[in-house]
Amino acid sequence: MISDSRRKRLTALILFVLVVLMAFVCLFVGSSRMSLSDCLRALAGKSTAANNRIIWNIRLPRVLAALIAGAGLAVSGLIMQTNLNNSMASPSTLGVSNAAVFGANLSIIAFAGGFLDTGNNVLNIDTVANPFSTSIMAFVFAVISILLILGLCRLRSFSPNIVVLAGIAIGSVWTAATTILQFYATDVGLSAAVIWTFGDLGRATYRTDLIMLIVVGAGIIAFLLLSRRYDALLSGDAVAISVGVNVRVLRFVSLLLSSMITAVCVSFLGVIGFVGIICPHVVKKLLGQEHFWSISATALTGSLLLLFADTLSRSMGNGSALPVGAITSMLGAPFFIAIIFRKGGRSDA
Amino acid sequence: MLEVRDLVFGYDRQNPVLKGVNLSLEEGRVGILLGRNGAGKTTLFKIMTGVLKPDSGSILYNGKDLLQMSRRERAGIVAYVPQQIDFGALTVYQTVLTGRVSYYTVKPSASDLKVVERILSEMELEDVSCRNVLELSGGERQKVAIARAMAQEPKVLVFDEPTGNLDIANELLIINEAKKIAHEKGITVISSIHDLNQAMYFGDVFFFMKDGEIKVSGGSGVFDEKIINDIYGVAARVVESCGEKIIQYHKESGK
Repeated sequence: MISDSRRKRLTALILFVLVVLMAFVCLFVGSSRMSLSDCLRALAGKSTAANNRIIWNIRLPRVLAALIAGAGLAVSGLIMQTNLNNSMASPSTLGVSNAAVFGANLSIIAFAGGFLDTGNNVLNIDTVANPFSTSIMAFVFAVISILLILGLCRLRSFSPNIVVLAGIAIGSVWTAATTILQFYATDVGLSAAVIWTFGDLGRATYRTDLIMLIVVGAGIIAFLLLSRRYDALLSGDAVAISVGVNVRVLRFVSLLLSSMITAVCVSFLGVIGFVGIICPHVVKKLLGQEHFWSISATALTGSLLLLFADTLSRSMGNGSALPVGAITSMLGAPFFIAIIFRKGGRSDA
Repeated sequence: MLEVRDLVFGYDRQNPVLKGVNLSLEEGRVGILLGRNGAGKTTLFKIMTGVLKPDSGSILYNGKDLLQMSRRERAGIVAYVPQQIDFGALTVYQTVLTGRVSYYTVKPSASDLKVVERILSEMELEDVSCRNVLELSGGERQKVAIARAMAQEPKVLVFDEPTGNLDIANELLIINEAKKIAHEKGITVISSIHDLNQAMYFGDVFFFMKDGEIKVSGGSGVFDEKIINDIYGVAARVVESCGEKIIQYHKESGK
């Protein structure tokens, strides 16, 4: 027992150190080609005004967003997978991302959302522009989707298969509605709406980071408190109920919190795929599924992956950062395929 | 004393699965439910453990209705080893510890850990306690499932199809383990099993179920050709060998 616990502590510690190191790498890499000493001086507020601004106003909010959203999306994926007893479940299983994309599209195309200043149906953008209007609309529709699905699934006692199927069905409705909306959009509106869906950490500000931190932090603390119940749930609903777990309430609270985390991250940063699938699977391989440790390690792995993807996206973009959502998906898709094929094993001829 | 009184349950009201089940089982005895697939055995077990809610009736343990208890209270009385056992990627120790969930809110106490260590030692699982359950053999996994149930420190152990996918050696290992739990610890064990010869070896009291009711109950004396034919629709012969009853089936008589 002691060796198992020590191994987990050591792994968490190594991940923590890697996250800190990666955060500094991410902070010091960028298109302005600042030297390491300039970066350190700027971090201390002792470099030129421009350098100080780059570090404190551009890179640091971005690094914080990667730390928080990476942890949030990864843990959200883990909790979805445990609660739905489905290794392919993701933070967006309840159609959260599709709904958020619809909300953002509606804001940008129909109401000239101020976030990107590219609305096409209002003559004077300044009259309606609010830096958060697109994010607010995205969040509102994500929450509507969550409540709709959880409300429907309540009728069937949150049976995991029903939740997954309802998520697919409602998610496809949002996608269809987005397509119709985009069909009527102008070129400018359409391009702005499409660009919004690319996950981009560059949209983060200290204020959005704080909001994400509150939601993600509260969610992770709640998940850690419930971690022993998730361990029991791994043996199936019947066993979990028989050992005294209120599976219905546990599943409702867990799905709600993990979807809220996803909603807030997607609303502020756009769609960042696969973090919620890759990280829980890597941690499961490394540490097993004891949730107290796997939640902690998954959060750290999520931060690490998003920091790495963001650093990569800014290094590859030749001056302008590639969408981080595309990088995480490109890293994630082969992994996802590997899981699918490994799970199927050898098929009968 | 475990008593089931007039228990009625149906997934839809028109076709009840259980149509007024009555049974009683004394402390430290092994009761075996027998009957064809779909007779309602697993449904009865799921009601006992709180997985399903009955339409009417009661389940009493020493006069207290299990159905009126909180989940936590019931978990301290009834433990369940289901037919289909799933495990996560946890060690044996962590898996057995999940049996203590009803005893603490956030973190297991030192006494919870002591109970787990005692159970692992009693069930001779100490050597594999740090191993991933998914790496164990079928028999060892079944033992882990029993150990988790025992970690609840229950008064009643509900054991659905304990020997389902096991070879004969593991089958006997598990049956003997369950008998030991009943006879040495005084825990009431209620189980279901399809092999009638194994059932006679395993159980003290037998309940033959058909169409959602218990048709016949009693000691091993109840096994005869007529009841086997009535319940299973199979022609059988009960012979005695070395003082033990053995049931032989006419292999072409299954309906």
